Amino acid sequence: MFAKLKKKIAEEAATATPRPGRLPRSYSKESITSVGADSGDDFASDGSSSRDDLSSQILRRNDQIRKLEAKLSDYAEQLRLMQKTKEKLEIALEKHQDSSMRKLQEQNESFQANRAKMAEGMALALEKKDQEWTEKMAALEKEKSSLEARLDQSLSLFQKRDDLDELEGFQMQELAKVKHMLLRKEEQLSQRERELKLRGEELNTARLTLAHTEEKLYELGEVHEETLSINAQLRAHRDKLLSEKDEAERRISDLEAGEEELQRLIRQVSEDFQKAQRATRALQKSMESLQSEHDELKLRHEQHKGKEEERERLLAGLQEKALSLEHRLEANLSQDEHLQELFKEKSLLKERLEEARGELLKERANHTAAVSSLEAQISRLNANVSELQTLLRHKDDSSRSYRERTDAQIADLEQRLSDSAEKLRSLEEQLEKKVTHGEKLQVEWAEERERLQQQVSTQRQRGLEKTAKLEEEILALQREREAEISLHQDNVKLLEEQKNTVKKLSLELENSKAELNSRQTVSVEIAKALEETRKQREELQQQVSKMSESAQRAEQEACRLSEQVGVKEAELSSLREELQATRSGLFSLQVECEALRTESEEKDAQIESLRQEILTHTQQADPNQSKECEVDSVTAQLQDVEVCVSEQNGSITVGDVDELQRANKEFEQQLSEKNKTIKQLQQRLTELKRTLQKELKLKPDADSDTKEKLQEGKPSSEAPVPAAAPTPAPGSVQGPGLAAYSSQTKVTNSSDLTDTREINFEYLKHVVLKFMSSREAEAYQLIRAVSVLLHFTREEEDMLKQMLEYKMSWFGSKPTPKGIVRPSVSGTPSSWM
Amino acid sequence: MGGFFSSLFSGLFGTREMRILILGLDGAGKTTILYRLQVGEVVTTIPTIGFNVETVTYKNLKFQVWDLGGQTSIRPYWRCYYSNTDAVIYVVDSSDRDRMGISKSELVAMLEEEELKKAILVVFANKQDMEQAMTPTEVANSLGLPALKDRKWQIFKTSATKGTGLDEAMEWLVESLKSRQ
Repeated sequence: MFAKLKKKIAEEAATATPRPGRLPRSYSKESITSVGADSGDDFASDGSSSRDDLSSQILRRNDQIRKLEAKLSDYAEQLRLMQKTKEKLEIALEKHQDSSMRKLQEQNESFQANRAKMAEGMALALEKKDQEWTEKMAALEKEKSSLEARLDQSLSLFQKRDDLDELEGFQMQELAKVKHMLLRKEEQLSQRERELKLRGEELNTARLTLAHTEEKLYELGEVHEETLSINAQLRAHRDKLLSEKDEAERRISDLEAGEEELQRLIRQVSEDFQKAQRATRALQKSMESLQSEHDELKLRHEQHKGKEEERERLLAGLQEKALSLEHRLEANLSQDEHLQELFKEKSLLKERLEEARGELLKERANHTAAVSSLEAQISRLNANVSELQTLLRHKDDSSRSYRERTDAQIADLEQRLSDSAEKLRSLEEQLEKKVTHGEKLQVEWAEERERLQQQVSTQRQRGLEKTAKLEEEILALQREREAEISLHQDNVKLLEEQKNTVKKLSLELENSKAELNSRQTVSVEIAKALEETRKQREELQQQVSKMSESAQRAEQEACRLSEQVGVKEAELSSLREELQATRSGLFSLQVECEALRTESEEKDAQIESLRQEILTHTQQADPNQSKECEVDSVTAQLQDVEVCVSEQNGSITVGDVDELQRANKEFEQQLSEKNKTIKQLQQRLTELKRTLQKELKLKPDADSDTKEKLQEGKPSSEAPVPAAAPTPAPGSVQGPGLAAYSSQTKVTNSSDLTDTREINFEYLKHVVLKFMSSREAEAYQLIRAVSVLLHFTREEEDMLKQMLEYKMSWFGSKPTPKGIVRPSVSGTPSSWM
Repeated sequence: MGGFFSSLFSGLFGTREMRILILGLDGAGKTTILYRLQVGEVVTTIPTIGFNVETVTYKNLKFQVWDLGGQTSIRPYWRCYYSNTDAVIYVVDSSDRDRMGISKSELVAMLEEEELKKAILVVFANKQDMEQAMTPTEVANSLGLPALKDRKWQIFKTSATKGTGLDEAMEWLVESLKSRQ
């Protein structure tokens, strides 16, 4: 209602704008300044024009003002009219309001009165019923306490039964112990068996090692045989080599024999040669003698020749004498006789000469003959000698060749001999080596064999010892085992018997004792064990006797208790019967109640309708703070009304009250659920707020678009918090809450603008910095941006432009700073921002 | 007066700087492209809060290249820089398919500005080295470029980190700027 009226008023006010006094300041300012700005522009543009123009302009302005004033008066009249209508409307509105308020109050009062009456009636009925119930409850509690006391007694009986069970458990434990001992013995047996097995394995391993050593021995024997065969081969080789050596020696001896023959031959040859030489020497001697003879003969011949010459000289002397004598004879004829005689002597001498001559000739002939013969002889001898010499030469040649041949042969032979000797030597060396090797091998083999034999023997001995030991051990173990087995068997038997004895008590124990006595070798221990078991048994028997006694006692008690229980049960049954009786009473009461309920449903419907009315009233009424108390009062009224209703309806009030209470509870449940939902929503909202704040903190430089969104979101998140803060009244909470929400968002939009300005401050800073730092051409372009950012007026912007142009150009005068002259005039922010 | 003289002066010597804006969403690679064009190297960049302005000489033409920060909060300030702009290089992250719609709306809003009616539009389908990059035709279609009228535009596939496609784009831009003069 009011909203509509307000809207109407607002619309009316909007239609009647140009009235003075009621207009917003900015409007008026703008109109004035725009006019002023226009004038200023005109003034600035026509600054150089004359003063006449100015006056005419003023006149024009005055006319305009007058017109405007007329208009203004018209507007004032209109406004007055509007005000009158408005006042009328306001009066009507007040009347309407008053009437509605009155109606409301009346309704409220009647409702509250009804409700109070109903509530009182209901409370009284309720109190009565409560008292009855409490009495019944007290009686029941008493019965319950008596029953509990009986129950305690029966519980003590049960405890005794538990003790009996425990005793049985102890018996079982003892049996288990005996079993455990048996088991341990069996375990020991198995351990011994395992040990035996281990020993057996050791024996096997020892046997295996023995087998290995035997194999090794066999291998060594094989090696020995191999070495023997090698030795035999070496021996055969040696024999061969020896035979070869013999052959070589034989050959050598043959060769030596041949050599000797050759030497003999050589000797013969040399002897022949010596003979020949001797012959030659003899021949030479004979030749020399012949030559000496020849020389003698020659000497004689020469002597002869000398003699002949002497004879010829003598003859010549004699002839001279004869001539001389003949001369003498011729001269001395008297001497005729003497000449005769001289002739005679001359003839004689002539004869003698002739005779000497003859002789000489003869001698000469002889001599020549002798010489010739000798010469022949010499020639012959010479020939002989030459022949002999040739022969000798031949002989020499042959002997030389033979010698050479023999020498070559000898050299060859010697070489061969030396080769063969060397061979022999090498062979001998080889043989020696081989022999030594063989010996070595033999020695080594022998050593090895000895060693191996020793090893084998030792191992054998060891093995034997081991086996002996092991056998001994085995035997011992077997013995032990047997003993143990026997022991164990005995034990087992004994234990079984013990078991039996434990189970069947003393008779069989005596039998076992007899057996034990017969097998005294086995054991004092067992006897002890037996004694112990005996003791245990006795103890057990004692315990058992005690237990049986206690059990009997317990049974007696149990009997007593059961009797008591029977009594109690009888009591209980009686009590139950009582209970059933009371229940039947209760049931009848319930039936009554249901009857009351069915009647009360009608009342309930009435109440609900009343409630709805109340709700509508409360919705219409002032929403937030007064709601709760109102609701309380309404509920009181309701109760009153209910009481009234109950009074009106007489005796059926109890069921009615129950119904009402139930309804109340349901409502309260609904209320609590709604409260819960409201709380959840609040929690969500707080979470959202937190996340938003986080994001805001995280991204301060993020896109301002999102920032704007966030800033819009921020108040929206804050808005419902105060709305939901007061304890929510049933039903009508959400309406006003939402209203508050929307109103607050609208409010915060204005602060958003300032935020964007803060963001843009950085931009402004950057632009101004650039404007101041950049060169003029760029700065000129930046004037617009700076003026927009700083909300410069057009004049200020123009002034800046002029200043920059002046700075950039070389000509022109400094423009007068118009903007600074009137700083008080606040300019309009440029329209396109 | 001074402006006139300066423009006359620069006109006489033919050294008037071409004014180019590099625009695009945040993280499209505008700053990387700017420094690739200026020094030919890949520089490590941080999100530009504000702008970078560098003089780039290409083919004997001087460009005053403005790289404006593309973050959502400072995108409205782009319009402060639109006056006297010769060409707009609009950089698109080809691999960012999700924000292609935002990119398109920003481009459309920019092209509606009166001050940019004469500006040449070069679209860089950047980050072509990425595997999931859209092709230039896909980018052009999703930006609604074929529907543009009275506008000289061209799209190039580029990779600022690899340095591919930038030369062709600049070549085209230089040619179209020369032909416009």
